[in-house]
Amino acid sequence: MPVPRPSLRWRVAAALGLGSLLVTSLLALATWNLASDYMLRQRLQATTRQAEVNVRLVDETLRRGSDGLTELLTGLTTDPDSTIMLFRSSEVLTSGRQVDPAVVPSDLLAMARDGVPARQRLRADGIPVIAVAQPLAEGQGLYVELFPLVQLDRTFRFLSGLLIGGTVLSGLIGTTLGSWASRRALRPLTELTAAASRIAGGDLKARLPAQADPDLAPLATTFNTTADALEQRVLRDARFASDVSHELRSPLTTMVNAAAVLKRRQAELPGTAGKALWLLTSEVDRFARMVVDLMEISRADQVGDQQDFEPLDLEGLVRGVAGHKLGEDVEIVVEPPPPVVSGDRRRLDRVIGNLIENAEFHAGGAVRLAVLHHDGQARLEVDDAGPGVPPDMRTQVFERFTRGDRAGSRGADTGSGLGLALVAEHVRRHHGRVWVEDRPGGGARFVVEIPEASR
Amino acid sequence: MIEAAAQKTYDEKQDMDFSVLLVDDDERIRQALGLALADEGFAVDEAVSGEDALRRLGGDGYDVVLLDLMLPGVDGLQVCRMLRAQGDLPIIIVTARTDTPDVIAGLEAGADDYVTKPLVASELAARIRALLRRRGGTKQNISYRVEDLEIWPDEGVVHRGGKEIRLTRTEFRLLAELAAAGGRIVTREQLLQRVWGYDYYGDTRLLDVHVRRLRMKVEHNPEDPVFVLTVRGSGYKFGPPR
Repeated sequence: MPVPRPSLRWRVAAALGLGSLLVTSLLALATWNLASDYMLRQRLQATTRQAEVNVRLVDETLRRGSDGLTELLTGLTTDPDSTIMLFRSSEVLTSGRQVDPAVVPSDLLAMARDGVPARQRLRADGIPVIAVAQPLAEGQGLYVELFPLVQLDRTFRFLSGLLIGGTVLSGLIGTTLGSWASRRALRPLTELTAAASRIAGGDLKARLPAQADPDLAPLATTFNTTADALEQRVLRDARFASDVSHELRSPLTTMVNAAAVLKRRQAELPGTAGKALWLLTSEVDRFARMVVDLMEISRADQVGDQQDFEPLDLEGLVRGVAGHKLGEDVEIVVEPPPPVVSGDRRRLDRVIGNLIENAEFHAGGAVRLAVLHHDGQARLEVDDAGPGVPPDMRTQVFERFTRGDRAGSRGADTGSGLGLALVAEHVRRHHGRVWVEDRPGGGARFVVEIPEASR
Repeated sequence: MIEAAAQKTYDEKQDMDFSVLLVDDDERIRQALGLALADEGFAVDEAVSGEDALRRLGGDGYDVVLLDLMLPGVDGLQVCRMLRAQGDLPIIIVTARTDTPDVIAGLEAGADDYVTKPLVASELAARIRALLRRRGGTKQNISYRVEDLEIWPDEGVVHRGGKEIRLTRTEFRLLAELAAAGGRIVTREQLLQRVWGYDYYGDTRLLDVHVRRLRMKVEHNPEDPVFVLTVRGSGYKFGPPR
């Protein structure tokens, strides 16, 4: 499974964060090395010098005889944490902080014994120290002094904390800066997205504001030109559809009324002419219905407005249409409280009416209507006791001009072929769904679900 | 004066005697619709343009005008406005334009009802009959009164503050239906059915525009009505707001 690529904004932010983290950590490392090296060296030099002076004093005292050696050693240990040890042939003299002589590494002692002054950092009884070892004059033993490094250690800890904290902070600042900068840089893109989705949502007037930035001006101009062209195109199409619709309505009016006059006098025209007349007049009616439906569906295709939407009581609508189109004996089930939807009354009337007519044309009429609640949706069910709709036809029946070869259809009068397509179109406009399923006990059940409106 | 005379003739006439002026610039529509309406029992006269219609209406009285909106010269909306300025002659707009702004414009211009092409004469005849239907015979001399507004349904007269307000037949019937309910809610469907004779498929835009027009005439402040009150989501009611 491919890992989703993080957004551009996050990639820019991460790159900037990592970059600044890298630079500051290199700087911090260099600073640490130089500073700690320097400070340690300073301290070492100081301790070495101190030790040399002390060794000279001890040598002096030893030469004069060993009296007062202990006092001298006590006087030399100024720091409470420092320790002086004299390794003589048979004994070890310790002064200052008491430390087990064993902590002094033997190779350090060995080097000093060979006449080389040596020093080493080590921990003695829990505190960091520098051990400086020097041979005493005339092979009288070894002088070892442990200088505490507590102060220096604390400084190092502070310094390293400061550097690490600074590095982390700089990484965070880099990330924030990257995020902010990329958001700023992408703001025109956000505006573009908003404008494009407004256009997609039907607002053809959406445009980008003119951009002063030379990098963005062409984008805005191109977008606006495209939107202009699209708007023109849509307006032209709408005007054309409206013109066609108007042009068709006039001859149709003539035809249906002439047909009505003829139908009234059908008896006067017997035989073949009469039959032809009957064919003509009934086809004219069907043709008129088809054109009206076609006009309605082409208008529904166009950019829709929801200005006609109002809160509607679905039960009232269903009872109204049913009272007009159905007999008294058809069962109407309503689950209280009656669901309310936000919609266009005329379109929903068409939805209900077309479903009832569809049942009439193809299945001998509706046998049950139901208005229910279902998961926050208002649900309308129109049941018939006909042959049902085979599964492979269930999407197709909602397409335009799909004529069911369902048994039980009334043959001559099968409607315009657009009834269910109009239902689908109008339901879609109400953000709802429509489908057909098997009715328990045989027949088809057409189901419409439209989001319920808050009362 | 003219109104009173016209009122009287409505009451005396039978369906068969209604005379209709059909204004349409399409010759074939005029002929076909004329024949079919004659079959339905109306006496039909034809006018080919706005000017022609206004000339004919200046003289002999017609009971109803069927007006196409798209006319050469003086267009239908203008004819409608001029007729409305002259009196309350019932006007039904017969239009090929079904979009909301066109419908609203026609109703705002003062039409009583509208039908869209292609229309069948029988449907149109039903609309005409509903429009010209005689007032329900209440027999008793009932009047309704709220604050300074007085309605006498039998006389077809409305007074506000002692002065008569001129309403069209449709506006008056709308007001009278609301008043007769005595402060109870009348649903939009009921109003469409009782005033316009629509069985169910009434267009609520028709009602909305008429309510707006009625308020302009009877309310002291149409923005803040006290007589014709909207009950959101169900309909309208008459009376002082509680």
